[in-house]
Amino acid sequence: MINGFWHYFISTIDPISNLGFSRALPELSISALPHWWLIVILPFVWNVLPTLILWVVYLIKPTAIRPPLPVRPDHAYPLVSLVIAGRNESATIGQCIRGALLCGYPNIEVVFVDDNSNDDSVAIARRAALSAVRTQKDAERVRIFPSPRRNGKASSLNIGIRMARGEFIAITDADSVIQYGSVQHWLLPFDDPRVGAVSANIRVLNMPHGLLTRLQDIEYALLFTNGRLISASLDLLNIISGMGGLFRAEILRRLHGFDTGLGDDTDMTTQIRKQRWKCGFSLGAVVWTTVPETRDHLWRQRARWRRNMIKIRISKHRDQFILGRYGFKNALLACVLLLSRLLWTWAMAVGLFVVLFEFGPLYVPQLIVSFYWIFLIYLLIRALIARDLARTPQPINFALLFLYPFYLMSLRIPTLYAEASELMRIGAKHPYVPDHVWGEIPWW
Amino acid sequence: MNDFAPPVTGRAVAAPVELPGAAAPQRRLDLLHQISSAGGTIAPTANPNAEHGYTYALSGDDVDRDLAFLSARNYLEARFFDRVSLCPKCDSHHLNVREICPSCRRAHLSAEGLLHHFACGYVGIPSEFSPTDDGSYLCPKCNRKMHHLGTEFDRLGKAFSCRGCGVISENPPVEAVCLTCGARNRAEDLISTLVFSYVLTSRGAAAIRRGSLFDGGEEDIVVVGAPVYRRGVILEFLDNEMRRLQRFKDVFSVLSVKCAPAALGPDGNQAPTEWLSRLREKLRDVDLIGQVGDALYIVILPQTKRREAESLCDRIEVALGRESPLTLSIAEITEPRDLAQALPGLAARAEP
Repeated sequence: MINGFWHYFISTIDPISNLGFSRALPELSISALPHWWLIVILPFVWNVLPTLILWVVYLIKPTAIRPPLPVRPDHAYPLVSLVIAGRNESATIGQCIRGALLCGYPNIEVVFVDDNSNDDSVAIARRAALSAVRTQKDAERVRIFPSPRRNGKASSLNIGIRMARGEFIAITDADSVIQYGSVQHWLLPFDDPRVGAVSANIRVLNMPHGLLTRLQDIEYALLFTNGRLISASLDLLNIISGMGGLFRAEILRRLHGFDTGLGDDTDMTTQIRKQRWKCGFSLGAVVWTTVPETRDHLWRQRARWRRNMIKIRISKHRDQFILGRYGFKNALLACVLLLSRLLWTWAMAVGLFVVLFEFGPLYVPQLIVSFYWIFLIYLLIRALIARDLARTPQPINFALLFLYPFYLMSLRIPTLYAEASELMRIGAKHPYVPDHVWGEIPWW
Repeated sequence: MNDFAPPVTGRAVAAPVELPGAAAPQRRLDLLHQISSAGGTIAPTANPNAEHGYTYALSGDDVDRDLAFLSARNYLEARFFDRVSLCPKCDSHHLNVREICPSCRRAHLSAEGLLHHFACGYVGIPSEFSPTDDGSYLCPKCNRKMHHLGTEFDRLGKAFSCRGCGVISENPPVEAVCLTCGARNRAEDLISTLVFSYVLTSRGAAAIRRGSLFDGGEEDIVVVGAPVYRRGVILEFLDNEMRRLQRFKDVFSVLSVKCAPAALGPDGNQAPTEWLSRLREKLRDVDLIGQVGDALYIVILPQTKRREAESLCDRIEVALGRESPLTLSIAEITEPRDLAQALPGLAARAEP
């Protein structure tokens, strides 16, 4: 039986079958066969073509993708305030603060807001700060605010923003580490005065931990690095990640900081875009972050992200769908996100049932197997380009590409559940936000 | 560890030296007399016009220097009284110390508790929230009214807000402006000077009885007429033993010996020579005994664990007999804090 399944599984990439396929290609390309367009052409245009174009641009003019750093004297670097908000982050806050102070940027300050931790985060943060500075003047570059009450991440970030002195404010998670030399790259897009915020290139710090973190390394390379590079170049970047975002301080202050509740990064990015600022991406600004190592943790994270997406993009900022109110690109972006993140997933699920009833139960496995191989080929192309452009994913993880489609499919389980429950407003309360704050947050 | 170091930290200070003129020994002896007449202790009193803000109620030409000299030679015991900060440029103690803004370095700060509005997450100083007619505040971000502290908004502890540039700082840097020369100094750049009170020691009392200071030599090392080291010497040995402990993990024990006041003579500062001699006879050659206070002696027992020290202590107590005025107690020193626990008074005196 296994032998039979194996033959069936690889029949899609059988050379003779593909020879026949290549002969049929001219006819297929002008055919109206829905499967051909939905399974082959649409994913290619959506996923592969932009990546290929980006690669060609890189080959012709590498500096367009990786701009060189101008040589500046130390005093010419603007003050960058790194704001970190965290609760019970004693395991990682030390390396986060040390990494920031020793990241090679001459004019940086760190503001750590401890959200009423139960552990010794504050003591560790103070020790880390002392271990990384050489003089008392340097020590003034680190300021720590131990909050007397738990306020949630958004409010903690707002405290940090109030305390920040810099012309630019960087925000990272307490379990992230800024790579040496990254801040200089991070600032480059701000040479364009229309740019209000820049996302860092997020990489996986704990990649070697296991299969799940390695698959996330592939995902971060394709979506967070390549995907954001493409969308930023089209001025369609939809998120400045909370794991690594650099903002003009004046914008954050003008917007009075983050709104409470979940999805602070999505919300802030949307607000910045609505103010008609551009959002950029810096390939050279690498921030290493700790990703979930267990399935439960990962599913909870993705469910939370998906809930935020619906709550922020569809409920709170639904006015950006109105064409002309916040510009064409914002309306386009809202529609694209709605289509790609929400409707596409449900359309796929419904489509499978349609095929099941239309063509019978034997056709569905055939369709899925075909789609798997097509997806894998596209995936390989994208991963190779990402590797060439951004040195990620790690070469050894290419061996796991064949598992990546299954990984993505598994993530549909928590996200579909999160979408359904958020739309029906079931179980919206999240432990990330303290009760006394949650009770006051308006429901958009 | 001991108080015999020059009484100033934070800068190089010249060691007490003999002043020109043959009157110096007599002048110092006079100081000892004055301290003895004052009850054996002299404490500094605050005086804004004094060089370092404190003076001693003693008559003499160069009292501060003479006191340091006498303390260094064990005639007086220096005890910590206060620490004075001085301008590094002009040595003045007339300093205006205050917090400054970490951004613009101005001192125009106000201490305000940050307010946090739960509904929108806005965090700001109270003056940003406009009061309304019904006694509530208006949030500058969402324009909602905030009525109830604790349920709608909260205070986030104290912070300093700069009236100049608006920067908020929870722990702003401290700066001192010298009111004499006008120099602006960071707090950590200030010179720190220790001020001591002085207590007459048994050596000082002996010098008064003798009518002159001792000439040095052996008398600087051992207590006059008693087989015990002087305080400075025994503390040096103790320091050395602590260093051995930290470097080689050489555990040792300390036998503390308290003498009943009745055995200290009518002045209360004469060494119980006979009893100390009997005690010395029972100790091993490698053990060191010294005086750390008028009625307190310590015996350093190198490489001796508690059990051995206790058996030694028992033997000594038997040998001294019931009428002995000496009370013995044992402490094993396995780490630095053991010493502080065993001899808290000693640790307090050693505090800078």
